Amino acid sequence: MRDLFQYVPGTSLLHRLNPVTKLLLTVVICVAAFITDRLIFLLGLLALDLLIGFIAGVPKKTVNILKGLLRIALFLFILQALLTRKGTPVFWIVTDTGLLTAGKVVLRLMVVCMPLALVLAVTKINDLANALVQVLHVPYPYAFTITTAIRFIPQFLSEMDDIMEAQTARGVEFDAAKGFRKLGMILPLCAPLLISSVRRSEQTAVAAEVRGFHLRTAVSGYKQYPFQWIDLGAVLFCCALIAAAILL
Amino acid sequence: MIDIQDLTFTYKDEPAPALSGISLTVTDGAFLGIIGPAGAGKTTLIRAVSGVIPHHYTGDYYGSVRVNGLDTVDTPLTDLSRLVGMVFQDVDSQIISSVVEDELLYGLENFGVPREEIPSRLEFALDRVGIADLRDRTIASLSGGQRQKVAIASVIALRPRVLVLDEPTGELDPRSSRQIFSLLKALNREYGITVVVVEQKIMLLCEFADMLAVLDQGKIVRQGKTREVLARSDELEALGVNCPRVTLLTRLLSERLGKSLPVSVSLDEAEKLVRGLMQ
Amino acid sequence: MIRLDHVSFNYPAQGATVRDLSFHIEKGEFVAVLGANGAGKTTTMKLIDGLIKPTEGKVVIGGKDTAAARVSERARQVGFLFQNPDRQICKNTVRDEILFGLCSVRKEDGEDTLRKRADEVLSDFGFSGDEEPFSLSRGQRQRVALASILAVEPDVLLLDEPTTGLDYRECCHIMDRVARMNREKGVTVVMVCHDMEVVLDYARRALVMANGQLLADGPVRTVFRDAELAEKASILPPQMIGLSLRLGAGFEAADTAEALTEIIVSKGGIPV
Repeated sequence: MRDLFQYVPGTSLLHRLNPVTKLLLTVVICVAAFITDRLIFLLGLLALDLLIGFIAGVPKKTVNILKGLLRIALFLFILQALLTRKGTPVFWIVTDTGLLTAGKVVLRLMVVCMPLALVLAVTKINDLANALVQVLHVPYPYAFTITTAIRFIPQFLSEMDDIMEAQTARGVEFDAAKGFRKLGMILPLCAPLLISSVRRSEQTAVAAEVRGFHLRTAVSGYKQYPFQWIDLGAVLFCCALIAAAILL
Repeated sequence: MIDIQDLTFTYKDEPAPALSGISLTVTDGAFLGIIGPAGAGKTTLIRAVSGVIPHHYTGDYYGSVRVNGLDTVDTPLTDLSRLVGMVFQDVDSQIISSVVEDELLYGLENFGVPREEIPSRLEFALDRVGIADLRDRTIASLSGGQRQKVAIASVIALRPRVLVLDEPTGELDPRSSRQIFSLLKALNREYGITVVVVEQKIMLLCEFADMLAVLDQGKIVRQGKTREVLARSDELEALGVNCPRVTLLTRLLSERLGKSLPVSVSLDEAEKLVRGLMQ
Repeated sequence: MIRLDHVSFNYPAQGATVRDLSFHIEKGEFVAVLGANGAGKTTTMKLIDGLIKPTEGKVVIGGKDTAAARVSERARQVGFLFQNPDRQICKNTVRDEILFGLCSVRKEDGEDTLRKRADEVLSDFGFSGDEEPFSLSRGQRQRVALASILAVEPDVLLLDEPTTGLDYRECCHIMDRVARMNREKGVTVVMVCHDMEVVLDYARRALVMANGQLLADGPVRTVFRDAELAEKASILPPQMIGLSLRLGAGFEAADTAEALTEIIVSKGGIPV
């Protein structure tokens, strides 16, 4: 969980794509998942997600993300299947329509979430921000806020781990509790964590300020993000994907 | 280089001043160490020198701080930061990138350093700090000492005239701490960068700093050449400031031998002193 | 009290962080674990407390294998003071903080007993009890953390860089308190510390680590006098020992400024 949003260095096709192209690909996969209404197409998209993960050279991470999503998906699937009233019952109160809609909902969720996590695995967060500012002319303060927030997640999680460890060591039964009881024990610890987080983010703001945060413009970046042939290929692929989602 | 006149500062919503009546002059190319108990105002003083006070942290501000002739109140923070590089106490909150190279680029890009000059600046900073091999590493994969060096390199790349550091060796082991201080001393000697460093490790500070300022309850209670400040080690101890053991040794020897001996601030000096006495 | 038998530990993503570690610590000892950043000191401390379980070998503390019991059950017996007190402090007043620790391990004592115990500890540490921990200084927060651990009256105290970031006075507060517990109550202390002067002043035995392995184990003074070992483990001896090593023959016995002064006066410097 902690390294979910961590960049994994590499030189794969996906690493070499322009950050903006990568974002486009992510968005296109999401859009396609919402346009289509066919289960088989959604499964195809999921396979595409996995393929992307493997091409990017992060198979282990891809599988981990999938595992994490499956847990949430299972919960949603059961909920959705139980709540749908339409269609003919298959067993107890579960109907065939219920199963189908539930299947689509969770598949969509997985299809949409995976590329979002993967794009961060193959793109340096700074490149992402720089490209957004340079190419799409997103105002720098927004890009900075987003990148800082993403960078912050693993720090927050590891701090949470440290706090839980410290509390376990003084006798709080984190190592025995599960589920909601554990959640109930974690919540009171969030206050100190938030205090230290606020302190930290303020420091980060000062650190950025004394290194010319306010001077930064769209042309400040040293690294350039030109579009290459592989980007063109990716864009064509995106178009094909959307077309397929509409036609199929 | 730095000229502080009668500075009193109270943070917004705080009842008592964090600094009161501070006057301090740091000449160009000096290496000043700041020491004092917790809550004495060391970090506040560092912030005032770098201009973060009053530009970022506001409050009641009396007196003046001039850096290279510029009044920190009238000069925009970004102009001050071209002059003064700052290294924070908590390195992790200072680093804003995920890869070493990007962290160094950040300030260079923002301050509009010409494109063709950037590679040489990058290499200079990486080589000088001794982390050229870490250039493409992710920050998450670095140790505390390595991160500290990255933070220093990212500031050095901007070629500041003054370097201010707030407990730069806090979580480092003795050897890495020494490396950081040796690095600061080299930058100070070779490029004439004025260094102001807050540090609790008194032995390191005394060995490397030419000047010491002792803070207590927002006031400067001692300032001067390191040796002169240490000469009154008994008074420092009364203030709750530790002294290096070599200084204690000099004091004990002076008392026992009934003659005043030169204060030693490092092992080398103490060795010389004792060898001299033994002859 | 604490026994490690051929203990190894790997973090999932990295290689081995601790390799084939074996040592034995008796009740009432005061042990310092020394070594460079990344030598495996903190991992060793967590292994001792059972916060992490060895991938190989066995850790036994107070007669129990750490793999067999939960850490939270052991908290009554083992106190762990972390480098950063903010991980531990989670209540709004110092009294609640101390009570929180007490309640989680000594519930069966009943509330009145625990309140009384908390008051005892508060007055012993010089707190009123109504202070807000987050408005205190770092050193004071570290004292709050220590107070809430000592309130439980553990037999073993594990300290991971307890004095980092503290000024001299705060450092002495913490260490004097720990030393008193060790001396008077026979509490076993294991401490990771980067300040060699503190190690020399307080600890009696030193375990020296490098690259996850145990390089040396012996009395603090002996360990510091081994120049070759210091080089290998990247540790710098305390100033006075460093000086006496440089001065060579005749100064071996001097560990403190006082002792050195005596030797110098007796050898050459003529007292008036």
